[in-house]
Amino acid sequence: MALFAVFQTTFLLTLLSLRTHQSEVLAEHLPLTPEALKVSVNSAQQCLHLQWTVHNLPYNQEFKMIFQIQISRTETSNVIWMGNYSTTMKRNETVHWSWESELPLECAAHFVRIRSVVDDARFPEWNFWSSWSSWQEVNVQDSTGQDTLFVFPKDKLVEEGSNITICYISGNIQNDISCYLEGEQIHGEQLDPHVSTFKLENVPFIRKGGTNIYCEEKQRKAISNGTVLFVSKVLEEPKDFSCETRDFKTLICTWDPGANTALDWSKQPSQSYTLFESYSGKKKHCEEKNRCNWQITQDSQEIYNFTLITENYLRKRSVNLLFNLTHRVHPMSPFSVQFENISATSAVMTWKVHSLGDYFTLLCQVELHGEGKMIQHNVSVKANGKYLLNELEPNTEYVAQVHCADDNHFWKWSEWSGRDFTTPEAAPSEAPDVWRTMKSGSHNVTLFWKPLSKFHANGKILFYNVAVENLDKPSRLEHRSIPAPANSTELTLDGCSYQIRVTASNSAGASPAAVIVVSAAPGNKEIEEEIIEGTEDGFSMSWKPQSGDVMGYVVEWCDRPQDPLCDFQWKKLGPNTTSTVISSDAFRPGVQYNFRIYELSTKRIAHLLERKTGYTRELAPSDNPHVVTNNLTSHSFTLSWKNYSTKSQPAFIRGYHVYLKSKEEQCQPGAEKAVLPDDTVCCQYKIDNPEQKTFTVENLKPESFYEFLVTPHTSFSEGPSGTFTKVRTPDEYPYMLVHVIVPVVICVVLLVCGCLLKSQWMKDKCYPDIPDPYKSSVLSLIKSKENPHRTIMSISDCIPDAIEVVNKQEGSKIQSLGTRKSLTEPELTKLSYLYLLPTEKNYSGPGPCICFENYTYNQAASDCASCGHAPVSPEAPPSQWGLLTSSENLLKALEKNYMNSLGEIPAGETTLNYVSQLASPMSGDKDSLSTNALVPPPCSEYKMQMAVPLCLASPPPTENSDLSSITLLGPSEHYR
Amino acid sequence: MKVLAAGVVPLLLVLHWKHGAGSPLPITPGNGTCATRHPCHSNLMNQIRNQLAQLNGSANALFILYYTAQGEPFPNNLDKLCGPNVTDFPPFHANGTEKAKLVELYRVIAYLGASLGNITRDQKLLNPSALSLHSKLNATADVLRGLLSNVLCRLCSKYHVAHVDVAYGPDTSGKDVFQKKKLGCQLLGKYKQVIAVVAQAF
Repeated sequence: MALFAVFQTTFLLTLLSLRTHQSEVLAEHLPLTPEALKVSVNSAQQCLHLQWTVHNLPYNQEFKMIFQIQISRTETSNVIWMGNYSTTMKRNETVHWSWESELPLECAAHFVRIRSVVDDARFPEWNFWSSWSSWQEVNVQDSTGQDTLFVFPKDKLVEEGSNITICYISGNIQNDISCYLEGEQIHGEQLDPHVSTFKLENVPFIRKGGTNIYCEEKQRKAISNGTVLFVSKVLEEPKDFSCETRDFKTLICTWDPGANTALDWSKQPSQSYTLFESYSGKKKHCEEKNRCNWQITQDSQEIYNFTLITENYLRKRSVNLLFNLTHRVHPMSPFSVQFENISATSAVMTWKVHSLGDYFTLLCQVELHGEGKMIQHNVSVKANGKYLLNELEPNTEYVAQVHCADDNHFWKWSEWSGRDFTTPEAAPSEAPDVWRTMKSGSHNVTLFWKPLSKFHANGKILFYNVAVENLDKPSRLEHRSIPAPANSTELTLDGCSYQIRVTASNSAGASPAAVIVVSAAPGNKEIEEEIIEGTEDGFSMSWKPQSGDVMGYVVEWCDRPQDPLCDFQWKKLGPNTTSTVISSDAFRPGVQYNFRIYELSTKRIAHLLERKTGYTRELAPSDNPHVVTNNLTSHSFTLSWKNYSTKSQPAFIRGYHVYLKSKEEQCQPGAEKAVLPDDTVCCQYKIDNPEQKTFTVENLKPESFYEFLVTPHTSFSEGPSGTFTKVRTPDEYPYMLVHVIVPVVICVVLLVCGCLLKSQWMKDKCYPDIPDPYKSSVLSLIKSKENPHRTIMSISDCIPDAIEVVNKQEGSKIQSLGTRKSLTEPELTKLSYLYLLPTEKNYSGPGPCICFENYTYNQAASDCASCGHAPVSPEAPPSQWGLLTSSENLLKALEKNYMNSLGEIPAGETTLNYVSQLASPMSGDKDSLSTNALVPPPCSEYKMQMAVPLCLASPPPTENSDLSSITLLGPSEHYR
Repeated sequence: MKVLAAGVVPLLLVLHWKHGAGSPLPITPGNGTCATRHPCHSNLMNQIRNQLAQLNGSANALFILYYTAQGEPFPNNLDKLCGPNVTDFPPFHANGTEKAKLVELYRVIAYLGASLGNITRDQKLLNPSALSLHSKLNATADVLRGLLSNVLCRLCSKYHVAHVDVAYGPDTSGKDVFQKKKLGCQLLGKYKQVIAVVAQAF
């Protein structure tokens, strides 16, 4: 015990002495100020890396210490950050510490100092702060020229949505500088006269090539500098991470990588993906962005714990997946899909699967697609699959496919494997729907049938067989084969009853027969047509059965009654049906549809039961009838529109309205006043019978104007308000006048005719001929008895003293004063000529020359040289007329010109022609005709004879004067 | 001596096309002997003219492709960012003798070739998806290379000039991205301006 007490005392004293010594040692080297502080800069990271040591630590053992760090900006007094850093260190050990600045380090000078304290419970007496180390200055951008501008940070990589501070340093404080981010000005604050900072919050991703930030000096109007901010998209956590195996050899892991965070300028590559499995401790770098293959080892590892790690320069993310391998089996697609024993209604489908081992059973799903339907069946399969597909349709194309999954732990279906096949044809299963039409009064029957539906046809219908059997007398069965797709045939029968059987055939056989009987006596009595109302959905109709024993009913109609082909339709109904709705997509409003309802007896004979007609919707008549007015009298007229067809109208015509406008205020009996849409008032006559197409308007006033309009009306509207037609009633008296005047005129005409027939008699009676003295009997007596030389005085023996020239309307005569010859003496009479000159302006040939030897007018021609043969040239310019002031000049000019026109007929060589006044030039002297080689078209015009005075021979000299139309007159003896 | 001269010319050419080969080539006396590896083409001046016309015809399209690919503010601030104020660009005097013009043209092409190489390198990194720009830059560099060879041939064969002192633009490899974009734009703006004058002068 005593020994223990001594040992304890000794230990305590030793410990105390050691402690005292330690305190003395520490006290000797205090303070423990950090020394050898070094500051390095990472501009890209905007980090200050500090390293220091504490030399004064006693002993070579670890001390737990706290370092307090102060960082100032711009000047030491501006402390922007202060913090503690705890670590354990030994004496002379170098401590490292980093600080990241939000402001680019180039933007301002930074100052750092450190002090320390021992934070070790073993040495509580040293638990006090040392003195600060001296300030350590960090100045990255130490030289700024007068005209330089810098923007920091340079080419920094940041994440989208982060906040960043930029700054510019300007050498010239006078410059007004504005900074922009992709063209949009940013606003900041001034750090010192040379430096401004800009805090950008939530920076956007603009392009992989970086976001341009630039600063413009307003005074210099120059963009001196800028920087590019590389904004990366935020790295996303991989989605839908999943792993599976298809063969128990390889695990395939897939995921959705999300956005690619790669940046241009090699600032950041695409994010990388690494697969780590924790149980095996294996890691694999994935080559692809969205999938990675992991080799399954043969060590029977069932549970896998995968971590998918993705990272880029800015961020790292990971997702975890724990699973049992046998629960992630995705079988490979089945193969060798085959069909066996394909019949019209069944087939056997076989396939193979990739084996996954003896313990695995696959659930396979068979899908059969055909005819727009899909049927599914499930089959359990070990290695080979087989399934009977039944209830198939003949002649149908099917697609059958199969996919499989793990039956024990369903994970995923495999991909589909499939093939198509077609079932063979079978005989049509149903008789075609047959109906007929019969032309009244003949034995022509047209058979119609509807094509069988695909369901009943069971293949392609090749032809229809029609067998006709005479029911009244035994005869050979008549067969007829009609190739498809015909849907009708015409039969000419006699007056007997026939049974007609129609079958449809395909390559596999014939359908059951459709039987119809055509009766010898159709017995279609006249049945009144009933009007029914249709709707947009069709026509609803019902009928009354006539006999209780019927096979059914048939309703027939035409879908397009206005077309010649009519598009004949029918609908067969059961025996217990007495009403139906007939609808068709072809029905149109305003078209009248006629329906016939037949009753089919048990002997398959059809009897017409009822007739219906109607419109799905009646429309207002679009046209008024074309009305003709007849029997117009002074008191009435009749209107007629017999060509107006009521059947082809867009509604049932219920009658007509006749509107009559007149000056009379009161309407006639049978009419009533009506106000038209244009507010005019007129009289309206109503005709309620649509077949009455004439109407007589009576009790009218003579010599009055009336206007009428006939318009049809239906049950709900009438025809368009067209144009009124005007009618004027005649006077009453003209009829009386006709009755009196016509007989009188006839009498007068008869009287005149009688007079004409008896004209000789009348002449003899009223004005007999004066006797010719030469032929007088008295003369003969004198001649023979008294003086044989004695005769009547001849006028030619007389010598006239003077000749008086008389101008007459029908001809002028100018007589030469020098002539002494008697004009009545035929042999001495000189010829007078009248030339009819051509009136065509461009006529160049000789004019037709007709010379009239005119005894009747008793005129003598003077000189043939001045006869009208003097030609006129049509080419004479109109201006020449103005120069012809005397008749001589005129004649000279005219003669000259006309000579040119007549050419070969000189004036002096004119031939004398004796021509009858009534003779045509062609019948004249042949010599004369031969002289004129160019004979114009015959002209026998006999111009009105009129003497033209000399002063009138020259027409007024107008520019439009036409020479060719001038008739030449000589100084004398020229006649027209 | 001939062997030495024959070896210098290809070496000179190789050095010209080294990206960012900064320092000028050593100046050699103008009266040095000259020999070309291959005989010059008979209608060399025609070829030079055609090449200049080809460059002049495509310069504007290249300029547009370049500044469009750089993003804002380049397309809308051409005067502030892409002005042709390249201070050390070799001078060219259109009214000089043919020899003087060819010597100056040689310097211009050498300068442009080096700068275009820098731009092509930078743009392939900065805008890897701007394929049409890359294609245009490569095509222009190809023509410049051929033109340089022809000019040298002409100088050598007719004027016996074996060496021409050349200078290159600043090396942009150490510049930040914005400066690279800007310097490239300025260079191409200057190129567009100068090549028009040069093409007219020949």
